[in-house]
Amino acid sequence: MATAVSSNLTERLRTAVGNENVLSADADLMVYECDGFTIEKNSPDVVVFPETTSQVATVVKACNEFGVPFLPRGAGTSLAGGCLPIGGGVMIVLTRMKEILEINIRDRYAIVQPGTVNVWLTQALKGTGFHYAPDPSSQGACTIGGNVATNSGGPHTLKYGVTVNHVLGVEAVLADGSVVRIGGPAEDSPGLDLVGALVGSEGTLAIVTRVWVRLTPNPQGYRTMLGIFESVEETSNAISDIIGAGIVPAALEMLDRPILVALEEAFKFGFPLDAEAVLLIEVDGLEAGLDAQRDQIVGICEKAGAREVRQAANEAERAKLWKCRKQAFGAIGRLSPSYCTQDGVVPRTKLPHILKRIAEIGAKYDLQVVNVFHAGDGNLHPILLFDEREKEQTQRVLKASGEILQECLDCGGSVTGEHGIGVEKIQFMNKMFTDEDLAAMGNLRDAFNPFNNLSPDKMLPTSGACGIEQKHPGRRAAL
Amino acid sequence: MSTVLEVLPITEMFEPSNCDDLCALITSAHDSETAIYPLGGETALNFGLPAKHSGWGVSLKQFDQVIDYPARDMTITVEAGVSMQSLAETLAKENQRLPIDVPQASEATLGGVIATNFNGPRRYGMGTVRDYVIGIHAVDGTGRAFKGGGRVVKNVAGYDFCKLLTGSLGTLAVIHQVTLKVKPCPQRSAIVVGTVKNLAQAENVLAELVTSATTPAAIELLCGPVWHDDAIWDGDAADELAIAVGLEGTDAEVQWMSAQLLEDLETWGVENCREVEQSKVADAWTSMSEFPAQHQSPLVLKGSVVPGATTKLIEAILGVDPNCSIQAHAGNGIVIASFSEFPVDGLSRTLLAKLHPVANSAQGNIVVLSNPGGHEMTHQSVWGGIHAPFRLMTDVKQRFDPQGILNPGRFVYV
Repeated sequence: MATAVSSNLTERLRTAVGNENVLSADADLMVYECDGFTIEKNSPDVVVFPETTSQVATVVKACNEFGVPFLPRGAGTSLAGGCLPIGGGVMIVLTRMKEILEINIRDRYAIVQPGTVNVWLTQALKGTGFHYAPDPSSQGACTIGGNVATNSGGPHTLKYGVTVNHVLGVEAVLADGSVVRIGGPAEDSPGLDLVGALVGSEGTLAIVTRVWVRLTPNPQGYRTMLGIFESVEETSNAISDIIGAGIVPAALEMLDRPILVALEEAFKFGFPLDAEAVLLIEVDGLEAGLDAQRDQIVGICEKAGAREVRQAANEAERAKLWKCRKQAFGAIGRLSPSYCTQDGVVPRTKLPHILKRIAEIGAKYDLQVVNVFHAGDGNLHPILLFDEREKEQTQRVLKASGEILQECLDCGGSVTGEHGIGVEKIQFMNKMFTDEDLAAMGNLRDAFNPFNNLSPDKMLPTSGACGIEQKHPGRRAAL
Repeated sequence: MSTVLEVLPITEMFEPSNCDDLCALITSAHDSETAIYPLGGETALNFGLPAKHSGWGVSLKQFDQVIDYPARDMTITVEAGVSMQSLAETLAKENQRLPIDVPQASEATLGGVIATNFNGPRRYGMGTVRDYVIGIHAVDGTGRAFKGGGRVVKNVAGYDFCKLLTGSLGTLAVIHQVTLKVKPCPQRSAIVVGTVKNLAQAENVLAELVTSATTPAAIELLCGPVWHDDAIWDGDAADELAIAVGLEGTDAEVQWMSAQLLEDLETWGVENCREVEQSKVADAWTSMSEFPAQHQSPLVLKGSVVPGATTKLIEAILGVDPNCSIQAHAGNGIVIASFSEFPVDGLSRTLLAKLHPVANSAQGNIVVLSNPGGHEMTHQSVWGGIHAPFRLMTDVKQRFDPQGILNPGRFVYV
């Protein structure tokens, strides 16, 4: 496979998508050298911005003809390096395919192009009584195509499920440039559930160019609470007790003190800065059942040692609480110049144990680790603070991250709940899966992407290589 | 009900009891190019194209153990041969459940339900079985054991074999162990029923229900003789169409929804509105779950269309067989039709001329659930007339089962 794009191919691409939709100057390409995972960087050789499915297909066919690798990209908010162009090649950025093509309330679906920003759909649905349920914290920027690639979650997926539970069908360009439609607005399409296989495949099986998503009725009401705790242990016990009692809140999020301090500086919400942790708990549904659920949760929190459980007084306060939660990552800039977010998952009853171990691992490597995460799912987001200009610190972050993820596996969990494997966690795949499991995954990839020229070297470890082998001179941060 | 040997050309039966034995058996079948027919509770034998290649029956009956049930994590890991009823009993001890309705639950196995992607009325409010499988262990057509997913409720590591194997009819791999996420049992369950005069009125009511303030677990449209004879429905479905709405939640939620719905249904012109007596609610759910297993019926079809076209498809089916008994999971656009007699024009002609065009125009399809007589079971009649990417599915199949030994000739491959 060639590692550089010839001028002939670039010309073909310009013809295919229009001169104004192609970038090839080094300074322009640098923007696309990484996504939200900034530790590994490599520039693509060319970036194209197709506007139609047939343009995507033409680009893919041209890449095949020239033997050049290619990969799709949405808004580049992935935190696992799913958009890293390993080996360079052609990056197909789908942000100009951003139309909401149809909203159908009677049949409870919408059709969107992949570059549609997640929150645009929910905004477009205002007044209909429906919404699109997956709500990743980056929903103001991330695209639905990217959500499909990574099977994105978000705070409210505890009750409503992740992206795959809300995708009815896709139109996709396969690795050979052919276009297929899989599934659609009617359920139970005959044959294999290839939609289920494509969602979460991190752009390694096909390039999604159109998505049929399910619409979810808005709840009649909400009760949004803030449980305030004196210790992390009490907080994690409360989480475990809420789930253990058979309550399924719409969301159950934990934020620890350092995050609260950063958020308070940013948003002046009035968080208690002397608390060790808070739980953001939301129940939603029919008004008839909400007060009882709220009272039960308050009781459990108090029994677990909560100092106080506050309730959002009105919609404005609720909205502000959620704004704080969803912008927590942005506020981390107040704490350190760089940070690395992990995405481990443990069985929910193991939360008290894993939070203790995360603190111990942080201390062992002399790193500050802060926590803001989807507690109800057992989906952790320990954030390791560091300065990427200090090589030695970066090494400590990588080691500590590895130990945290290993601990999640030892608890019977996973190394990623919603961010994906990408390149970041590829070395963990053979800790979670046997050679036979990985061979089966290879079989699926080979059926869709037999020459591995679509998003090469992602997600599955390649034989003889542990993670990334940089094939193309590029700029690397930190490492 | 047909027996396994009447339906499948089985030369020898095997009952492996562990994964190693299952692998050895499939490896041996692979090496000798012998067909394998994976068997669970043998309740859906008529689903799929007729089997033509003689081969081995592989029963998963001995895979019936609970491996791990950490109830407070609301997950359970079980072997795939466990019956749905036994699974339900295990979960009920912790006041939990897998809210998937299947007929013949004492026989039907979890592995079979996953392989056939079988779902009942609660799919409207609770989702389908694919939403609950979070980990899966299986053996492919070369005898290689592999897994996907894990034991935690949120996990995006690797390709999602839980989804790929759900509904694959045992043609990619034999499923032998599964991890599920489960739900708490609701405090209360209720069913509100009423009758409508015709399909046009039914569609008006269904459309209203989409934006109703209530949050039903099931929205069913029922008609035909099977429902006449069922005492639970007190003749609701005797001459007219009955709409049954399942409600689940806390006492307060269900009481509120029931009252609201009774008021709404009357406003929308629905007649004979009432809540099914609490003592009959469990039986009413069972009655709705059992409907697809109409083994005396000469033909059972399942149509899937966009929900707004449910009544249009029912109209077309009643045009073919006015005595057809029908259960529609109307909130989802799923129509199950149990024919009173085999179509006089033949299956292919009926589908091609009268039913496929209606389903296709509503972006859906029709598949055969059961045709015990085995007449006219062609790829198109059994698996629908739409242009699904069967070629791509066949490429996937070839990677998992290169010799084509797993349930050969029965699924969608081309």
